[in-house]
Amino acid sequence: MIVQIALLAGLVVFSALAVLARDLLKAAIALAVASLLLGILFFLMNAPYVGAFEISVVAGLITVLFMTTIALTKAEGDVRESKAARWAFPLFFAVFLIIDILVMKGLIGKIPALASPPEEGTFGETLWKMRTFDLVGQIAVIFAGVFAVLALFRKRSKDE
Amino acid sequence: MILLFIALPLIVAGILPLVGKFSKSFLPDLLANGVFAVLVAAAVFSARPLIGNGPVVQTLSWLGESVNIQLALDGLSVLMLFVIALVSLASGLFSINYMEHYGGKANFYALFLIMVAGMNGLVLTTDLFNIYLFLEVAAVASYALVAFGLEHDELEASFKYLMLSAVASAFILLSIAVIFGLTGGLSFEAVSGGLASLDVKYPMAICAAFFILGFGLKAALIPFHAWLPDAHPSAPAPISAMLSGLLIKVSGVYALTRVFIGVLGLTPALSKVLMWLGVISLVAAAFLALGQKDIKRMLAYSSISQVGLIVLGIGLGTPLGILGGLFHLFNHALAKGLLFLNSGSIMQSTGTRNLDEMGGLARRMPFTAATTLVGSLSIAGVPPLNGFWSKLIIIVALVQANQWAFAVIAVLASVLTLWYYLLIQRKAFFGKLGERWKDVKEAPFWMTASTAGLALLCIGTGVFFALTVKDWIQPAADTLANGIQAMFSSLGF
Repeated sequence: MIVQIALLAGLVVFSALAVLARDLLKAAIALAVASLLLGILFFLMNAPYVGAFEISVVAGLITVLFMTTIALTKAEGDVRESKAARWAFPLFFAVFLIIDILVMKGLIGKIPALASPPEEGTFGETLWKMRTFDLVGQIAVIFAGVFAVLALFRKRSKDE
Repeated sequence: MILLFIALPLIVAGILPLVGKFSKSFLPDLLANGVFAVLVAAAVFSARPLIGNGPVVQTLSWLGESVNIQLALDGLSVLMLFVIALVSLASGLFSINYMEHYGGKANFYALFLIMVAGMNGLVLTTDLFNIYLFLEVAAVASYALVAFGLEHDELEASFKYLMLSAVASAFILLSIAVIFGLTGGLSFEAVSGGLASLDVKYPMAICAAFFILGFGLKAALIPFHAWLPDAHPSAPAPISAMLSGLLIKVSGVYALTRVFIGVLGLTPALSKVLMWLGVISLVAAAFLALGQKDIKRMLAYSSISQVGLIVLGIGLGTPLGILGGLFHLFNHALAKGLLFLNSGSIMQSTGTRNLDEMGGLARRMPFTAATTLVGSLSIAGVPPLNGFWSKLIIIVALVQANQWAFAVIAVLASVLTLWYYLLIQRKAFFGKLGERWKDVKEAPFWMTASTAGLALLCIGTGVFFALTVKDWIQPAADTLANGIQAMFSSLGF
């Protein structure tokens, strides 16, 4: 229990850091640490597949992509942010935490234990047989992402 | 067969960028519009007869083994498929001429088709998680399409849209996760059945609030509307037509309706919340539209306002209210699609979107002026156009349910709507032709043809409204009135 609470607290702290850090590289690293902690939490809560995906894809692959992008872009032309952004997020965050602490425990107590077991089966069965339609959607999302990159980074034609 | 609505656009989208290497414009135009035409035909000649004996649920098989792709076709989904295909076809034909100067046409159509596939998937699925997934498919494609012009404003609008839409998706996903935790299932049937046997008032209230926030953001209901007046005007005109005419309705109103009326059940408290959200959007956005100088921005605010009216009708929850709401959804998709396409014609011919700079364009662009008039009067609710009937049905439904205050507000908002649409007519088309515009030409063939088609549909559905309601709208409203259990129980599930 203590380990879980420590991990959750770490998750919150590093997620907040990812938003608040001014340096993009530090923000990316904070995000990676946050998702690593989340992955460990998934393992502890008996969801090894989700944990493995979280750590390999979010903490690993996406962090590499972020870092590559940050390394490849120049730091010129800083966009000036309105000052409101600096206190709006911490304020919202603090209010959220207070409400969370006050409300969530009571609320979770009201949720009954699951009446029927969640969808069963091995990982492969779940993915290929029970959630097949999700794969169609996944393909569509990947298409959308690839074509979005192709469209937004296209060469302008000469007459433009 | 039903899978065709998702698979066909997706497959063609996959090959389009390759086709684009050989043919910059002709083949992409042909392929994309061919797909849209097939989808219109499939909705009319194949999907509608299929539900003649009630809703159909198909489970697909792959190489002889059944895979868990379950698609449901009922009155509501057929109506949505039809309207998606119609507006897509009009926007696709319009793009033949309009997208010429943007470049990257093959990629444009690929994204366009993916957006359509996403919307169709959302309409056909019977699973909460798939709703989220296809919502994202359509949304990711639309982010790129809003930014397609690559100018500063377009990129900024797209970014704002992306950020707010991501918040919406997060809330929707969170709510779905909680429901999965409560019921152990994700399919409409399992969730609906599971919730009926549980006493989970408070967690469900939070889920409902998150759904309203998420779908409300997608539908751009006030106060969740901040992204729309930037995103919709910034997109290329055919995409504005798709976003305002369809996307906010499919990923906002349709999903909201399906989840609340079909799966979770519409409680009196929820009904009140939806009606208030609807009426606030209806009135506030109408006032905001009045103050706009940019024609596309004015149309965007008008979309928020009209979506408010749709939600007001559906939120009322009576069979007549639902019927009126769905009919208005159909009519608004046609008319707003038409108006956004026409704003593109004006923009291409004059180079401006500022209403104050225009004037007397009716002389130079008679077709555009005439079709804009049809679209404007339709949305404003002038008889005998289609918009009049749907507004009338909503107002009658409100009166029937003794919601006099809402009925009066809806009537007054219609007057406001007429006011700002007449402003568009007066400022853009009537009056003296400005010296600047004496060489302005009417829009090219496909642009005029597609808008003329939509205008004829607006007139046709208005004149033959009884037929439209009987064939398309009533089955959709019946589906919602019966609820999701009826759909599955009729099939012996």
